[in-house]
Amino acid sequence: MSITDSNRLGLPNLGLGLGLRSRHYDYLLKNDPVVDWFEIISENYMNNFGFSRHVLEHIASIRPVVMHGVSMSIGSSDPLNMEYLRQLKELAAFVKPAWISDHLCWTGVAHMNTHDLLPLPLTLESLQHVSERVNRVQDFLQRPLVLENPSTYMEFSDSTLHEWEFLSELVERTGCGLLLDVNNVFVSGHNHGFDPEFYIRNIPHKAVVQIHIAGPTDCGELLIDTHDQPVPTAVWHLYRLAQQLTGGVSTLLEWDANIPDYPEMVIEVEKAKRVMNGEVPEVPVFQSYQADVISNPVDHQMQVQHE
Amino acid sequence: MNKLETTQRWLTSIIIRPGRLHEKIIAADKTYQLDNSKMIRASRRLSAEGKIHVYARGYVLRLMECMRADYPLLRNLMGEELFDTFAQAYLVQVPSHSASLFDLGENFPAFLKASQPPKTNSAEDGIMFDLPVELAQVERIRSEVTRSKGLEGMEDQLPEEDPLFYFLGTSSFRTSPCLRLLSLKFELTGFVKTVERGEAASTPAKKDNFLAISRKNYSVNMQELEAWQWHYLQELIITGDHYASAKKAAVESNSREEDIMADLLLWIPAALSCGYICTGAQRKDL
Repeated sequence: MSITDSNRLGLPNLGLGLGLRSRHYDYLLKNDPVVDWFEIISENYMNNFGFSRHVLEHIASIRPVVMHGVSMSIGSSDPLNMEYLRQLKELAAFVKPAWISDHLCWTGVAHMNTHDLLPLPLTLESLQHVSERVNRVQDFLQRPLVLENPSTYMEFSDSTLHEWEFLSELVERTGCGLLLDVNNVFVSGHNHGFDPEFYIRNIPHKAVVQIHIAGPTDCGELLIDTHDQPVPTAVWHLYRLAQQLTGGVSTLLEWDANIPDYPEMVIEVEKAKRVMNGEVPEVPVFQSYQADVISNPVDHQMQVQHE
Repeated sequence: MNKLETTQRWLTSIIIRPGRLHEKIIAADKTYQLDNSKMIRASRRLSAEGKIHVYARGYVLRLMECMRADYPLLRNLMGEELFDTFAQAYLVQVPSHSASLFDLGENFPAFLKASQPPKTNSAEDGIMFDLPVELAQVERIRSEVTRSKGLEGMEDQLPEEDPLFYFLGTSSFRTSPCLRLLSLKFELTGFVKTVERGEAASTPAKKDNFLAISRKNYSVNMQELEAWQWHYLQELIITGDHYASAKKAAVESNSREEDIMADLLLWIPAALSCGYICTGAQRKDL
């Protein structure tokens, strides 16, 4: 398999990283983080001047940090939330992140926030709308925006573009970066019947700045992006393909529910090294037929430390 | 309204509205003159409605998890079923308008207060309805204090353990930016500590009391105060004037001003130590 040249918008390959989660704060203050970099959920640290900010300051002093948002709502038909963007920029001035990312999605309309990553109709109208907004956000932040492909559970009949076509055109029009979540490609591919390898082969690899890996749940009718399981074999294969096609980009393990102890997280993300040597772990997709399986779990963001 | 906006309003209304999914979809179809079966691609495994269900169900489950994480003490007091009933009603009536999940539960204490039944002849019954409201207020304020700007990083500027400072340096006293004061009808500190130790707690007793919640070294503390201490701090928040605050404390607690001044001399070190107050030098960068 040939390896393409790498560009990543001139951004560095940070290596293997983990999401900074409050469950691991105490451990990280006392121990070497081992991994190369961290990703934060931006909204957790905006207007937060307590212990979380203290831990973030410590982590940012010893490792590169990337800011990953969940509420920019770049695809919403509401006006851009300029107060949100102002706070995001303010946090970036404190963190000095390697880059800022969010999702190709919308989270609500009429100023309501569902706190979910809702899918867009993939039409030329949406493409025009999102492109204009990405350009405005990039102008405001004075840096490229990096956008992640979401997991989706439905498609609009009006859609005239495949997601990989939409993203390719978006990159072309705005110069934004891509955060390729190979687990999301796997989940959406299963749910909508497309070939995830074809998707990954047909995005602009030079624009891929970062990769997400995670473990989903097979709920029978659909795969759900639960972020609560080890990375399954099929996702590792997609990861390897993506790394070969991009020439190597920063990798982050997402784990947002039933979060293990920190050393276990390190073991899981370091499997990526073995995968790149062709040693792909045999891990089936976790199955659950319970009714309360949640995509994009967010309650980990609520965990506060009182004492 | 363009097509994208119509589509997004249609789906948001289905996700956020209460009720049975099928009825919500019919209502949204009618309002926005759309046909769900033509909007969403069905698959062999799932109908359009089945796919919308993933998002509608996820919305409630996801935000309920946040409410439970935000109000664990209240959930302990009310019981899981009753708490979930009120939290779900809250999410329906007060959907999130903020980018931050921290704001999701902000109005829950007020929602509980507004949910109280009309006052009955039994004053005791009416007061008992205030218990969950007060506990929700305490939990919310503790969360705010956790995130607020505080005094951390400035401890090295604390004055020497010199009683003369507390006597002569009073003009520089200011309240900490993370100090919050509550006047309560129930004694909640014991309940909170017992539940957080993982032990079974009895229902808090009714007793008027004054509470201070603050943070020191990133640790949130919550303590009952004497009436004069509480009034002193409250006035200091408003005026920033030590002597005016002492005077107010004396009036509100029916004490002599000179007694309050003497008590303050003894209590100020503790108030500094708990992070209720700081010196002007400490606060100037905040």
